[in-house]
Amino acid sequence: MALVEVEDLKIHFMTRRGPAKAVDNVNFAIKSNETIGFIGESGCGKTTTAMALMRFVKAPGKIVDGSIKFMGVDILELDEEAMRQTRGNFISIVRQEAQNALNPVVTIGKQITEMIMEHDQVSKSKALDRAKKQLNLVGISDTRINSYPHEFSGGMKQRAMVAIATACNPKLLILDEPTTGLDVIVQRQILGMLKMLKAELGLTAVFISHDLSVVAETCDRVAVMYAGKIMEQSDTTSLYQNPLHPYSKALIGAYPSLKGERKRLRSIPGAPMSLINPPPGCRFAPRCELVQDICRKQEPPINNVDGRLIACHMVT
Amino acid sequence: MKQEAILQVENLKQYFPLRKGIFSTLFDRRPSYYPAVDNLNFSVGKQEILGFVGESGCGKSTMSRTILQLIKPTDGKVIFKGTRVDTLNRGEFKPYRRKMQMIFQDPFGSLNPRRTVSETLRQTIRIHSLAPDRATEDELIRKTLEEVGLNPVEEYWNKYPKLLSGGQLQRVSIGRVLILQPEFVIADESVSMLDVSVRIGILDLILKMREKYGISFIYITHDLITARYICDRIAIMYLGKIVEIGPTEEIVNNPRHPYTQALITAVPVPDPTAETPEVPIKGFVPTTPENNIDGCNFAERCLNELERCTSGEPPMIEVGEQHFASCFGVDGVPTVN
Repeated sequence: MALVEVEDLKIHFMTRRGPAKAVDNVNFAIKSNETIGFIGESGCGKTTTAMALMRFVKAPGKIVDGSIKFMGVDILELDEEAMRQTRGNFISIVRQEAQNALNPVVTIGKQITEMIMEHDQVSKSKALDRAKKQLNLVGISDTRINSYPHEFSGGMKQRAMVAIATACNPKLLILDEPTTGLDVIVQRQILGMLKMLKAELGLTAVFISHDLSVVAETCDRVAVMYAGKIMEQSDTTSLYQNPLHPYSKALIGAYPSLKGERKRLRSIPGAPMSLINPPPGCRFAPRCELVQDICRKQEPPINNVDGRLIACHMVT
Repeated sequence: MKQEAILQVENLKQYFPLRKGIFSTLFDRRPSYYPAVDNLNFSVGKQEILGFVGESGCGKSTMSRTILQLIKPTDGKVIFKGTRVDTLNRGEFKPYRRKMQMIFQDPFGSLNPRRTVSETLRQTIRIHSLAPDRATEDELIRKTLEEVGLNPVEEYWNKYPKLLSGGQLQRVSIGRVLILQPEFVIADESVSMLDVSVRIGILDLILKMREKYGISFIYITHDLITARYICDRIAIMYLGKIVEIGPTEEIVNNPRHPYTQALITAVPVPDPTAETPEVPIKGFVPTTPENNIDGCNFAERCLNELERCTSGEPPMIEVGEQHFASCFGVDGVPTVN
């Protein structure tokens, strides 16, 4: 059985002009110990999907339909207290922009022990020991336990965030743009640390990024999202070597690389459509090169092509 | 490229004073400062795009602000088309301001949210008195919007920034620069806040401006990948200094300075089958400013550190055609400066 099964997930944001369908009928499953990546442009719903896994969708957003089964239990049915215990103990998140996620007036050690004592019945000194261990685990010397966030560099803050998120040995770790805004050398160090941590703690991870090369390096499987829908789900290698969905093709085609020949690239013309009252049919149709009449009328079914899931009329 | 340099920068320095306590002010007379930009020498040729790549805090943005006289340099010369502009006062510099422009990083923050697209451009026209009457202004705005790819113009004319996407906003920012017919533009992280799918569109627009209007660019970024896409030459900066400068493909495929090598190894590749080699670097970028580093700034992070690296500053060494690296460990002809 998969660790996480998401079925027909629909998240709407209630706006004055009507509900914006930020996540619309999304289905995916995450197996134990795998890393799944979500890629797509800003506003495509990748962060919203991840937040739903923590049940962190706040008004005006609302999970209107679907189920999220974590180890067989639908977390959308849990009461607030049970959900609170699930967060941190079983599912944990490292949010975008770690620099802003840490409390600037509380020491790093206190922020880690807070997390531990909230979830486990342990004494303060024991929690402190565990906090030190956590810091060492993410590559920060435990002598820094009484430091404040402003004494840390950007990369160290990100490490501290990971230390907090993994303090209670969660099963699932959600990483929302964990390296965005960091310099490449620091990014490489963080990615290496995450890889090591994943093996050590037996973590399953959800990795959200708009950086295709970071996803290529870290994920086993990738879901490509566009305007609230998953367009393609596929193992990483086949996706990058042979993207099937026209959107995946365009996205990967627009991505420059430092290796290989220097070539001209093409950006994707147009912009994503409004998610309030989207027209029928495929959401990518207005920007698609292969567009046919049927694409504008009917929503594409999800086809299984060699074990890859593609939502396109033209790819079967 | 030297013969037709549009911009020359000589020994440019920007030192920021550090705040001291009262006792050290009284008893420690040594000046205390942070060398954000330290002794830069380079020139930008006509129609050339010169990239500056480095990690945050290496001084790239301070350099661009110093070149455009938004802050006065501590020392050194900025020569624009044969005129020394760093000694001019505000009024004298104004005609040059038109010719030397900047595209900022954050299109959401650099446009006035209470002005429509056409009003934004109209303001620029009026400040610099570019058109005699309203009809000419309208014509100029229309032409500019078409030029930066905001078609059909009517659709954008009365839009406020909040209704536009990041890519469209960045096109408005570029339009605002283009309308002045500049000869030299600094693009400071101009695509790093945009989605991958629209980045290439903006970079292509910069390339088009270069071809069509003969504009020279300094392209500042932390992202070697986009730098490779548009730059003719790339300069790598570390702690306020240029450590290596050369033709783009030379820098990418044949980096000589150990820092450049580390930077290039660390760039992720969009290929899941690629190996991820160890980055040849140690330690972290120093966070506390030190002004007493003798020798090479990079020495404490370098894996092939030699004895002389900590005793004296490495000279710029010519390692190939137009390719220079500042390191004791490379072979080549040392140059003056």
